[in-house]
Amino acid sequence: MRRRTLSFTAWLTVIAGSIALGPSAALQQRSDSISVKGGVGDITGDYEIPDPNWPQWAHPYPKPGYIWGSQGGVFAESPDRVYLANRGELKLPDKVPNGFPGNWGFFNQMAATQPIANMVNCLVVVDRSGKLIEAWNQWDKLFEWGRGPHQVYISPYDPERYVWVVDDMRHVIYRFTHDGKQLVQTLGMLDEFGENDDLTRFRRPTMIDWLPDGTFFVADGYGNTRVVKFDKAGKALLKWGSRGTGPGQFNTPHGIAVGGSPPRVFVSDRGNRRIQVFDTNGKFLEEWPGIAPHSMLMSADEHVWAVDSLTDRIVKFDLSGHVEFSFGQFGTRPGYTWAPHQITADSDGNLYLSEVFGGRTQKYRPRPNADPTKLVWGRSLMPVANARTN
Amino acid sequence: MAEQGDVMKRITLLIVALTVGVSAAWAQAKPDFSGTWKLSGTTPPNYPGSAGWGVPSPTLVVKQSSAEVTIQSGQYGPTPMTVVYKLDGSDNIWEAPSATQSGTTAIVKWRTKARWDGNKLILFTWNTALNQMRDVVSVSNGALMIQRGTEQPGPSTNATLTYNR
Repeated sequence: MRRRTLSFTAWLTVIAGSIALGPSAALQQRSDSISVKGGVGDITGDYEIPDPNWPQWAHPYPKPGYIWGSQGGVFAESPDRVYLANRGELKLPDKVPNGFPGNWGFFNQMAATQPIANMVNCLVVVDRSGKLIEAWNQWDKLFEWGRGPHQVYISPYDPERYVWVVDDMRHVIYRFTHDGKQLVQTLGMLDEFGENDDLTRFRRPTMIDWLPDGTFFVADGYGNTRVVKFDKAGKALLKWGSRGTGPGQFNTPHGIAVGGSPPRVFVSDRGNRRIQVFDTNGKFLEEWPGIAPHSMLMSADEHVWAVDSLTDRIVKFDLSGHVEFSFGQFGTRPGYTWAPHQITADSDGNLYLSEVFGGRTQKYRPRPNADPTKLVWGRSLMPVANARTN
Repeated sequence: MAEQGDVMKRITLLIVALTVGVSAAWAQAKPDFSGTWKLSGTTPPNYPGSAGWGVPSPTLVVKQSSAEVTIQSGQYGPTPMTVVYKLDGSDNIWEAPSATQSGTTAIVKWRTKARWDGNKLILFTWNTALNQMRDVVSVSNGALMIQRGTEQPGPSTNATLTYNR
C-alpha cells in the first residue's frame, strides 16, 4: 500500500487557480480577459478559447424557447463524429436577458436539470463544425424517468464501435449499435437498484473503461461504493469496494480509467477526494490524494487526465501519480467550465468537455505551436470492422 | 376405451383442482398489511429520509386488496399523499405536485410498481422530479417492517423503519 502525496508545486498548480478566482467572482467578472500565459491561473492551457457558438446546432437554441440543460457526456469518435449526451432541454423564461449566450449556466442554476427537463435530443452526433448529423430521438424515451444520459463512450478496442451510454438514475448501462438503430444490450435492471454485493444490479453507475481484450470496469457509483469488472460479453466477474475512507473503500467512485503495463485501474473516489489505483482484480496499490475528479481519461500517451470537481482544473498525471500539467478555471464564460463532467479528445488534438452545471459542451482547439505534451490525446480507436470511413 | 377416458378425465380434474388449490393457498399466504401503523423506530436512529423525500411518516394508513395496496403517508414529500400500488406488476402513473431538487414545487409525473418477493412486498415509487424510493415491506412479530432505499441526485439513503399498530 502506498499513499502518494502531491508535490507542493503540483498541489499549488491544481489549487491556486480556484483560490485566485472563486466561483461567485468568476460568474460576476464577465469583463475579465482570459489568461493566455499557461501555468497557475491558466484557463485554457495550450488550447484556444472555445467558440461559444459550438456546436452550432444548439446555439442559440435547439428549438425556439428551449435550451440544452445539463450536459452529462461527450465522446469524440473522430473530429467529424462527436457524440453529445444531453440531460434534456429546458424552457427559457419568457424574457431572456440581453446577452444570453445560450447556456443554462448563465442563469447561475446549480441544478441544471430543474425545473423538469424535457427528455428530447438526449443523444446526438455532430460534426467538427457542430452541425447535427444524427439525433437518436428513438431512444429519448429511455431517459424519461431519469435525468438523462450520464456519459457516453466507445471502447477504443472495439472494431464494431458499439456506443455505450450510462444512465445513472435508472441504474442501467446501454450498448447501442454504432448507428444507434439498435439497442443490443442493457446491463443492470431498469429502475431497480441493488446493493454493493449484488452483481445483477447497479446503484447509479457512473463511468466505464476497457482493457484491450474487451474486459471492462464500471464505477458504481453514486449509490453503491464499488467497481464491477465484466467480461467482454457483459458477464459480471467480480467487484470490489465498500463504503468508507480506507484503502479500497469509496465514497462516490465516479470516474475510472484503465491502462499502463501491467494494466491498472484508476478510480476517482470523488467523495473522498482522491484517486485510488488497483490492479485489474481489485488489489489496492496506492492512492493519490487531493483531487476529486468527475471524470478521467487514459490518454494515448498513457497519462491519466482528471477533471477535478473541486477546482475545475484539468490535471495531467503520469501513471505514478505525478502532476505534470494542469489548466482550467471555474466560470461560465467561454473557456471556463462549471463542473466539467466528461473529457474526450479527437485525433486532431481537439479537446471536448461537457459541463453538467454550465449546461454546455465546449470544444477546445489546440493553439498554433501548442506543446503536444500539454494536449490531451485520446486513445486511437480500433479500425472499423466493415471499413466505415468516419 | 370408455374406462381410459374416465381415467384421463379424473386426472385432468385432479390437476385442475391441485392448480387452483395451490394458487389459492399461495394467494392466502401473502400477508395483509392493512391497518393504521404508528412509527416506533428507525435504523439508523432518527433517519431523516433524503431532502424531504422518504421521510418516515409518523402514521401510515395501508389498505390492501387482491388488486392493489394503497398507502396514505407523509413520506412522499411535504404534503401527505395517498398512493396506489397495483399488485399485478403493472405501472400506476399519474400527475401530482412534488418538491423539486431546487426547492420549488412543480407538477410532475409519478409512477409506482409493486411485486411480491415471497412474503415481502417490494414497492417502487418514482417521479420525474428525480425522486426514487424502494420499500421492502414485511410483517415481523406483529410489527410492520420497511427496508427503505432512496435515490435522488444527492446522497443515497438506506434505513429500516418499524411501525406498530
